[in-house]
Amino acid sequence: MRRQRATGRWATVDRSLFARLIKYALLAVALLAALAPVYWMLTISLKTEVEQFAVPPRWFSFAPVLTHYRDAFVARSFGQYLLTSAFVAVVSTVCAMLPGTLAAYALARFRLPRKLDTRLALWILSTRMFPPIVTAVPLFLLMRDVRLLNTRAALVIVYTAFNLPFVVWMMRGFFQEIPRDLEEAALVDGDSRLGALRRVILPLVAPGLAATAVFCLIISWNEFLFALVLTQTDAAMTLPVGIAGRVTQYEIKWGVMSAAGVVAMLPILVFALAVQRYLVRGLSLGAVKG
Amino acid sequence: MQTEKLKRKTNLRPLVAVVLLALLLLNSCQSQSNGGGGDGARQLTLAVNSGVEGDALKQAARDYEAQTGVRVQIAEFPYSNLFEKELVDLNARTGAYDLIMLDDPWFPRFATQDVLTDLAPLYQRRNLKGPDNDFLAASIALCRHPYETGTLYALPYVGNSQLFFYRKDLFEKHALRPLESWDDVLAAARIIQEREGAGSPDGGRVYGYVMRAAQGNAVVADFMPIFWAFGAEMFDASGRPSVNSPEAVRALKFMLELGKYAPRGYASFNADEVSAHLLQGTAAMSINWPAWISAFSDPARSKVTGRMEFTTLPGAGGQAGRAEIGNWLIAIPRDSKNVEAAFDFLLWATSAEQLKRSALRGNPPTRRSVFLDAELLAKFPSYPAQLRSLETSKPRPRTPLWNEIENTFGIFLSKANSGELTPEEAMNQANDEILKILERSK
Amino acid sequence: MGKGLKAKKWTAVFPPVYPFTRLPISPLPYLLVAPTVAVLVALSVYPLIYSVRVSLQTGTGARAVWTLSNFTRLASDRFFQDALAHTLVYAAVALTFEFLLGLSLALLLNERMRGRGLFRAALLVPMMLPPVVVGVVWRLMLNPNFGAINGTLKSFGFDTETLTWTASPTLALASVIAVDIWQWTPFVFLVLLAGLQAIPQEPYEAALIDGSSAWQTFLHVTLPLLRPAILIALLLRTMDLLRVFDQIFILTEGGPGFATETISLYIYRAAFRFSDFGYAAAMSFVLLLLTNIISLFYIRLLNRQENA
Repeated sequence: MRRQRATGRWATVDRSLFARLIKYALLAVALLAALAPVYWMLTISLKTEVEQFAVPPRWFSFAPVLTHYRDAFVARSFGQYLLTSAFVAVVSTVCAMLPGTLAAYALARFRLPRKLDTRLALWILSTRMFPPIVTAVPLFLLMRDVRLLNTRAALVIVYTAFNLPFVVWMMRGFFQEIPRDLEEAALVDGDSRLGALRRVILPLVAPGLAATAVFCLIISWNEFLFALVLTQTDAAMTLPVGIAGRVTQYEIKWGVMSAAGVVAMLPILVFALAVQRYLVRGLSLGAVKG
Repeated sequence: MQTEKLKRKTNLRPLVAVVLLALLLLNSCQSQSNGGGGDGARQLTLAVNSGVEGDALKQAARDYEAQTGVRVQIAEFPYSNLFEKELVDLNARTGAYDLIMLDDPWFPRFATQDVLTDLAPLYQRRNLKGPDNDFLAASIALCRHPYETGTLYALPYVGNSQLFFYRKDLFEKHALRPLESWDDVLAAARIIQEREGAGSPDGGRVYGYVMRAAQGNAVVADFMPIFWAFGAEMFDASGRPSVNSPEAVRALKFMLELGKYAPRGYASFNADEVSAHLLQGTAAMSINWPAWISAFSDPARSKVTGRMEFTTLPGAGGQAGRAEIGNWLIAIPRDSKNVEAAFDFLLWATSAEQLKRSALRGNPPTRRSVFLDAELLAKFPSYPAQLRSLETSKPRPRTPLWNEIENTFGIFLSKANSGELTPEEAMNQANDEILKILERSK
Repeated sequence: MGKGLKAKKWTAVFPPVYPFTRLPISPLPYLLVAPTVAVLVALSVYPLIYSVRVSLQTGTGARAVWTLSNFTRLASDRFFQDALAHTLVYAAVALTFEFLLGLSLALLLNERMRGRGLFRAALLVPMMLPPVVVGVVWRLMLNPNFGAINGTLKSFGFDTETLTWTASPTLALASVIAVDIWQWTPFVFLVLLAGLQAIPQEPYEAALIDGSSAWQTFLHVTLPLLRPAILIALLLRTMDLLRVFDQIFILTEGGPGFATETISLYIYRAAFRFSDFGYAAAMSFVLLLLTNIISLFYIRLLNRQENA
């Protein structure tokens, strides 16, 4: 039975071979489409300006130079933007993980009167559904009033709020997967609720915690709109805003921009590989446990 | 009991430590950004543009500190942020700034909101009549509200106005007549592209003309000189928008005609694309700003070193052309707590001596004597053309709503250049939308 | 066929909560939730309320005047209406393509084959890139004069004179939509693949015995069982598409003319270029309303599925 299904309805040999060839050809096209543009940016970051504008385009044969990287990170402020991005991402992740995990635990384990637990969870999720521009306008005005514009603190605060619903939903899912018997056994042994959480549950959800934290890092690192609105000075700008600034000023330095783009992309790709197992889950806010 | 247990094992402790550390760091960042507070000494705070104009003023401020002992603090913001920043602070009447740099199209907005200091009483207190006659009239006019005749609220610091850039080697090679009118420009563009462009016998790739036609400020700035040369005006005598007048439509049609000799996709060009074409030698003519002149004598940036000439804008129908003026002004917010000290600085910074220093730092001056300075003339051969351009320049309409109007006008100009709308459609629709902006503000 | 069956994984979408009655009522859960609720009230709910106030005023500070004019202006603002139309077209077209392509890829890869892991990992790349970098990548690719796409086409002998991509009023919107499809098809693919792999074997075996064709099996077995995954993928994509800002800001800034201006860009411009915060707030409520209506529609579909 099973074997029959594997080859499906195309039982004859040549038909399945043909189908498979087509399939691989299609996949090759998809792969090329997905990767070629990124590769092109990489080559631009390594080409001299003359080679960047060469017609026809040079996909493979060019003499790589590192001048754009030096230009971006030594001569210009991209090194500083990089540090700001890293600082904001790490601090906001920590700030969101702590309360978010506690709330997730409560929402996964306690039934509150009048379905309050489910309602709270959905309400928390709904705050994440606001289009960012909707809150960007009032947050700009509020940050202006408390004189936090052009500070890293503003971004840390906003990203914490942005990541919090995400942490709650991810972690709630992970907690729900832990059998209750383990925890109840600990409670019977005389542990307090929090003691059981710390000693029994947290070690079990450690991979989930790590994955959630990595997702928060990715989200904060990639974020653009709030960073654009809230920070405009060199001292407070993140990498995406710095890159965008190169586009809208008088002159576009394609090499510098590409070099910064490559550097902005690398940590994210490493992180994404690290959490590949949880990727679907993370990207769907915990809705799909792929 | 519970807390004791929490302390006993380690799982949460590093996390807590990290958070505390982070908060500490955050705290330190904030206190850094707040900067040192006032110490009672004479101190001024300046809001400047982060760019070549602001840099010059920043360096001047360092000199001022050394000379007078007055502390000058600088708050630096990128162009896109500066207007908003200043408008908000001035309206909140915080007195955070003692001096602000502003781009001249913003001036009417500030002046109508009555947030700037009238400079006349300050002059009187120093037994001066007002700004001296060495300032260019076109620049000083920008600092008055209403334009030219009204109250003086600012002094001009950087004297930009548009110039016409063209390749004199190509003009000599093809024996083209000097550019007096836009018709000359069109004819020259046609000839150059036929002989030097793609498909020409030489197999070159030079376009006759290049311009910025991306929506927003870019396309408006590059269109205004044509618009004015054809006799059109943004507003009629009664103040109603008149961008769909027959002259205006003719001007736009002419722009599209020029566009036929521009690189494809010019409808999305900004300053960087235009300058790239000029520097690479793939375009022969353009309107551009003085800030770009120096690039053409730098072999590392330009393939056409020494072959670009800079002159005043062409006109039409026997009339001379008029460039768009774009000056940086310095004003004193009404709520500054150090008005007198600020005015002393303002007089010093806009003196001929200081403007010469600013010129050496790359900013065109706003005083005739500085334009005629021998040392500067030797260094900047385009100064006579710049001076002529400034003297005959024309300001953007003096309306507090210029940002919105320019944005709207730019969208329709760009739409016409990309072929989405006919010139008539574009100008009629632009007129309707500008009217709406005016009516909304009533 | 297959109706009684429910892929177990999908009940986890809005999972039931355990009754935990053994403990006496304690303040602990409230204490645990409190910090999160406090942060969200301060930074999501309060700004929204503040925004209502802003939208009902013109002018700032002491000069502020209470008015409804920011909302009445919406009806006569053709730019706003154009931006809204662009946003809807953008969302509808991108969603359709992302769904069809993502589903095809998921079906192609839904069996063991050599290199599947590698392929899956490679497809992740576009989706993980910072949106700003996506904008940069595609500016480099689509530049009409020296971009890789026109350059490559030209070297194969194509005439690229009229292919100005983001500079052309007719191609610009299509170009930015194509970039979105490039970036987000992998997401739809991943979610649908996860969905396909959660479908049990039994209904397929039953279909085989019934003698259904491959197409019939797909229509009557795969699609119904995949429905929750499809709905979730579409819901999340729709939310993202309606708010699109980053890539377009880098690629075209709404141009040429107004051809690629989306509602988020227009709101941004009103607020941060013209300092017209009241009008920006009013427009943002329209966007919020639109997003809410569409997401409620999806959630209702999802719930119907669960209760079926």
